[in-house]
Amino acid sequence: MTPDPTKPTEVLVVGGGLLGCALAYHLARAGASVQLIEKDQLNRHASGQNAGSLHFQLEYRMIQHGPTVAARAAEALPLHLDAMHSWAGLEDELGESCGVRRSGGLMLAESPEDMALLAHKAHLEHTHGLHVELLDARATHERAPYLSDRVIGAAWCPGEGKANPRLVTHAYARAARRHGARIDTGVRLTALRHDGRQWLAETAGGRRMAARAVVVAAGVWTGEVAAMADIRLPLVPVALTMTVTAAAPPLIPHLVQHAGRRLSLKQTEEGNVLIGGGRAAKFVQHAGALDLDARPELRLDSVFAGADAARVVPAVQRLPVLRIWSGATSLAPDQLPLLGPVPRRPDFFVATGGSGFTLGPTYSRLLAEQVLTGTTGLPLDDYSPARFGALNFV
Amino acid sequence: MTATEPQVLIVGAGPAGLAAAVTAAHHGAQVLVVDEQARPGGQIWRRPDPGAGGPDPLAGPAYAAGRALLARAAAHPRITFAHDTTAWGVFGTSTTPDGFAAPPGTLVPDGPRVAVHGPDGVHILLPRALLLTAGAYDLPVPVPGWTLPGFFTVGGIQALLKGHRTLAGRRIVLAGAHPLLLIAAAQLVRAGADVAEVAFAQGLPAPTELTRALAALPGNRAKVAEGLAAVRTLRQAGVPIRTHTLVLRAEGDEHVNAAVLARVDRNWRPVPGTERTIACDTVGTGYGFVPSTELARQAGCAATWNGSAGGWVLVHDHAMRTTLPHIWAAGELTGIAGAEHAVAAGKRAALDICRSLGILDTADHDRELPAVERELAATTRMARLLEHTCTPDRAALNALAEDDTLLCRCEEVTYRKIRHTLRDNPGLGTADAVKLLTRAGMGPCQGRMCAPALVELLHQETRIPRETLGPFTARPPIKPLPLAALADAHDATTHTPPAPADTETPR
Repeated sequence: MTPDPTKPTEVLVVGGGLLGCALAYHLARAGASVQLIEKDQLNRHASGQNAGSLHFQLEYRMIQHGPTVAARAAEALPLHLDAMHSWAGLEDELGESCGVRRSGGLMLAESPEDMALLAHKAHLEHTHGLHVELLDARATHERAPYLSDRVIGAAWCPGEGKANPRLVTHAYARAARRHGARIDTGVRLTALRHDGRQWLAETAGGRRMAARAVVVAAGVWTGEVAAMADIRLPLVPVALTMTVTAAAPPLIPHLVQHAGRRLSLKQTEEGNVLIGGGRAAKFVQHAGALDLDARPELRLDSVFAGADAARVVPAVQRLPVLRIWSGATSLAPDQLPLLGPVPRRPDFFVATGGSGFTLGPTYSRLLAEQVLTGTTGLPLDDYSPARFGALNFV
Repeated sequence: MTATEPQVLIVGAGPAGLAAAVTAAHHGAQVLVVDEQARPGGQIWRRPDPGAGGPDPLAGPAYAAGRALLARAAAHPRITFAHDTTAWGVFGTSTTPDGFAAPPGTLVPDGPRVAVHGPDGVHILLPRALLLTAGAYDLPVPVPGWTLPGFFTVGGIQALLKGHRTLAGRRIVLAGAHPLLLIAAAQLVRAGADVAEVAFAQGLPAPTELTRALAALPGNRAKVAEGLAAVRTLRQAGVPIRTHTLVLRAEGDEHVNAAVLARVDRNWRPVPGTERTIACDTVGTGYGFVPSTELARQAGCAATWNGSAGGWVLVHDHAMRTTLPHIWAAGELTGIAGAEHAVAAGKRAALDICRSLGILDTADHDRELPAVERELAATTRMARLLEHTCTPDRAALNALAEDDTLLCRCEEVTYRKIRHTLRDNPGLGTADAVKLLTRAGMGPCQGRMCAPALVELLHQETRIPRETLGPFTARPPIKPLPLAALADAHDATTHTPPAPADTETPR
């Protein structure tokens, strides 16, 4: 289907990452007229810079700060369960490989404290319907002989794995275009206002666009874009560090995470070992203001911390490191997604809030449903920006 | 891991780095020079690796300046060399430094932190001035057969000869556009190789170009004499030197066994029916050089596209300052201009560094400056002449590759794969975006071998300006680094007790 230039745009999607392209796909497939704009290249930022984990267990950052924080973060588990199914069917749906491999994930424990955290986590997950198996040392090493003796146990989630962040966004974009979505890159939004009937957008190139609805899926820039519509979203920008080694023969079939450290690792289909897990990078500032367009600066402590991987997978010590880079995302203060309509702004939607890669297919499908029908099969109330209404941010 | 604080840190021990080291040390600076090689000299003044033996490749009048500079640097008490050491990252340049990432009580000074990896592991250096003189490498030009064993760049052939007293092959065809081909061919002949032919894509200089050449002569007689001597050597050995000729491809199954050449027109396009095959076991191409800007760009120094000066070159001012405070650059990474120009630029940078550190007062600086400026001007004239006559025709070279030619040999990505990717993904408009989608440039060479060819292919296919397509983003480590080295450094960082505050050196 080719875009019909005479048909008015129904939905303007801001952001050409995984979420934006997947939204464009779901909206266009349902028959909506969609225009996506991206200020740089598709997949240029967090969607292409993250390490491609499909992690459905609660993450280190969610369980490290006590049971209250963990219980709150666990409210996103229905989305995790949905995402597990979404990824399972994604390659068939899009008709091409996205590097999806669901060969299971391990969250490692090196200490009794780590084991206790894993036990508490497994209980929380169980109450939300996610079944994670606790493995003792022997069972862990039988399943993952590449792990060091430091590892004394693990939580095993069979549905976890990886997908290829180089490919997924583009696969969605191609599918969206096949359904008639218009996708333009190098188009930076500069102004956004509602004239009482529809949204009017202006771009840096002087282009003007009108749309019934606007969906902001702009990653770390989501707050900046929403601010154009006089919305101050409670979001915390977060810059992270990733490390990749040269390719090696198959060694690590699983997604590996750690209960007590900021560490994740996996091996790509091509053999490279990708190390991430949430080590901080530093935003560049000018005169006290964050410059989100500047590449976050690598911090030496985070650069060295990538070597933590060797503690639990000794074989990676031999591998040469090829690249270390930073990427940025934004989190809501309660670590839950920020997903849904913004109160007091007609037909204005946002999608962000961490785990955007793993949960991307789910976020985008549900939000497209919300935009087109006003309701969703899986309730989004817990994730809606309205939960921060007490902040009077709109 | 230890943190050391040289006054002046120079990355690269080639002509620019050595000249800067000698100048800065002469004026009183403490200088540390880090270099990847086992001995100083860079590529052009490369000497045999320790134990390689044989005659000194730097014997003879062409290298007199190099020999003198190497001797002065080696003897100077204020110059320290760290050999076999790679500077793999520069940190802390784009934001204000912060103390919270360091052990409590550690003073965190302003300025770049330079991560190096040498025989005793990873170190972080905190220089007051950083001078980057990383030089250049040969421009790789993918043609059918370019990944066969026996296919070299001419710089690689020279490195084998100078560093290891090793001939790259028995019968060698050299082809390209740069006069280095003549120098290398003469060195090979003297070392006993059979050079089958030296082929230049361009024609003989036109009369107007000869006039320009005469104008560039003052201050550059040694360089011209070197070229003339090389031609004489080749004539005496009966080596044909042809113009308007390109190597179209190399042939062979397991190894190069022939080169296919053809006549080309003024636009370097092959003339149909002129193909001929030369039996040989080695092909060396020399189309020019690529400035080695990776570390500087990783640090955050601005670069700009200048196709006739080698591609991406560092933005710098008259005193060789980059766009970042505390960081200077000299030599080929500010634009390909040759060893003599690199020496002059190294001296120029050293003068500015010494003045900015307060080692050299303004009066002394101003007294030293005119001689260095004259040297810079003379060598710049020669560099412009070479640029004018020897700039590779990138569009024509791009046309030599076939659809199934490997563009990225590390990741085995073909020209066809890139073209299909562009067709299937409208809007792709940067080298980085194509790299991410195709893996071209993601391998162990970190894109050095394919980046120029990829940018040219993208430019030819999309007509997007090369400047917009960009270089690959340079990431640390700028050369592959064993993860174990990072792990050791991490353990040392984690377990080092904080130094007492009163032992810190105030900066």
